[in-house]
Amino acid sequence: MTHAVKYHPGIPLLEQYVEGTLEADVALAVSAHIDLCPHCQQLCLDLSAEQGLMLEKSAPAAELDATDLDQMLADIMAQPQWNGRELNTQPQGPVQVQLKDKTFTVPRALARLVEQQTKWTQLGSIANAKLPAGDKRHVSLLYIDKDTAIPQHTHKGLEITLVLSGRIVDEKGSYGVGDILINTPDDTHTPRTLPDEDCLCLSVLSAPLQFNKGITRLLNPLQHLFY
Amino acid sequence: MLNLASTQRHDGTTPAQREPGMSTNDENAPEIRTGQWEDALSFVAVHQDKAAYSELFSYFAPRLKAFGMKMFGNEQQALEMVQDTMLNVWRKARLFDPSRGCASTWIFTIARNVRFDMLRKKQSRKDDISADDLWYDGNYPEQEDSGSHQWDTVLMTEKLAPHFDRLPEAQRLVMVKVYLEEKSHQEVSDELAIPLGTVKSRIRLALDRLREALDDTRS
Repeated sequence: MTHAVKYHPGIPLLEQYVEGTLEADVALAVSAHIDLCPHCQQLCLDLSAEQGLMLEKSAPAAELDATDLDQMLADIMAQPQWNGRELNTQPQGPVQVQLKDKTFTVPRALARLVEQQTKWTQLGSIANAKLPAGDKRHVSLLYIDKDTAIPQHTHKGLEITLVLSGRIVDEKGSYGVGDILINTPDDTHTPRTLPDEDCLCLSVLSAPLQFNKGITRLLNPLQHLFY
Repeated sequence: MLNLASTQRHDGTTPAQREPGMSTNDENAPEIRTGQWEDALSFVAVHQDKAAYSELFSYFAPRLKAFGMKMFGNEQQALEMVQDTMLNVWRKARLFDPSRGCASTWIFTIARNVRFDMLRKKQSRKDDISADDLWYDGNYPEQEDSGSHQWDTVLMTEKLAPHFDRLPEAQRLVMVKVYLEEKSHQEVSDELAIPLGTVKSRIRLALDRLREALDDTRS
């Protein structure tokens, strides 16, 4: 029986993800969530369809050099089409990561980055592996042993946590595989693991995001989706 | 033969060809899109059909350029994006799967990915996040229903209706017809001249927004 994901990114976040306007490191966390969440997979297909329709119904560029375009068309059709291996450049599925004697599965979105680099730094019962992504290298895998509280910390932007294995709890709830938590600097919370279960997360520390409505609850609104 | 000029309808049918009064209980039937651009893409994929590709190109390239101008504010980069996007449409045509979406959706996602990777390259990032990491272009394995069905029946119209006004117009229109006027998805598709798949996807998007709205009123 698979665990139903309860905490999803809000629609504004998914929209920016689909448009490709979301910051890459935040988009990475959203993408990994989607890998784990059939509900958001469907929403993203729907949002992409809306974007496609907008493109189809949009006005063509006013200034166009017809000879430029004709040349472009001819150049393209002179190229061979691809088949087989050339078409499969994407990581296709989840991969395993190793931490001491433990093996974890991480989603497709993280596969390439994790295969490039997973060097763990151990700090007591917490271990951290920075992934080669993001400006200030603030995208990392975070392992928390069972019965451990995360030390209080502050940061200027958003803190995004995606549970990849196990479970963490805080004052507001209990988060299992696929659940995404988005915290602002104003949120004070003390996440911790349960006495008998450890946890692997993706952690992204990001600059603040820009939204038309600057309401953080819009980022993470679907916690009551399954009553 | 392709009849590329005659139809602008997305799914290539006329209202008369469609079955009227189909029930709304066909949520899970996969819709295979067959329309002008979908057909053109499969001709490109199967026959390397240059005429079909030229039609696609002459429709989408100028629109992609406008999209690129908006995104880059720079003609040279906009044209580079058009070139790379349309080249990928040519090279990767056989990856297009009409059961997963429309041709326009597929072309949009290619343009978005090209644009994303262009921007990342400009910032000279190496070994970093790429479009291939962020947007999976394959089928996820089938999962149990994720709950929209449940909501369809659980949610009372009276509870939802007050929130309809805050939906994006395209979604509101569909929701009013389905939930207040109790029309079938197929009827709404015919009336608004939009594909059945679009009716369904707008309902799903609207339901998610309504969930958010209802959540707000509760907390």
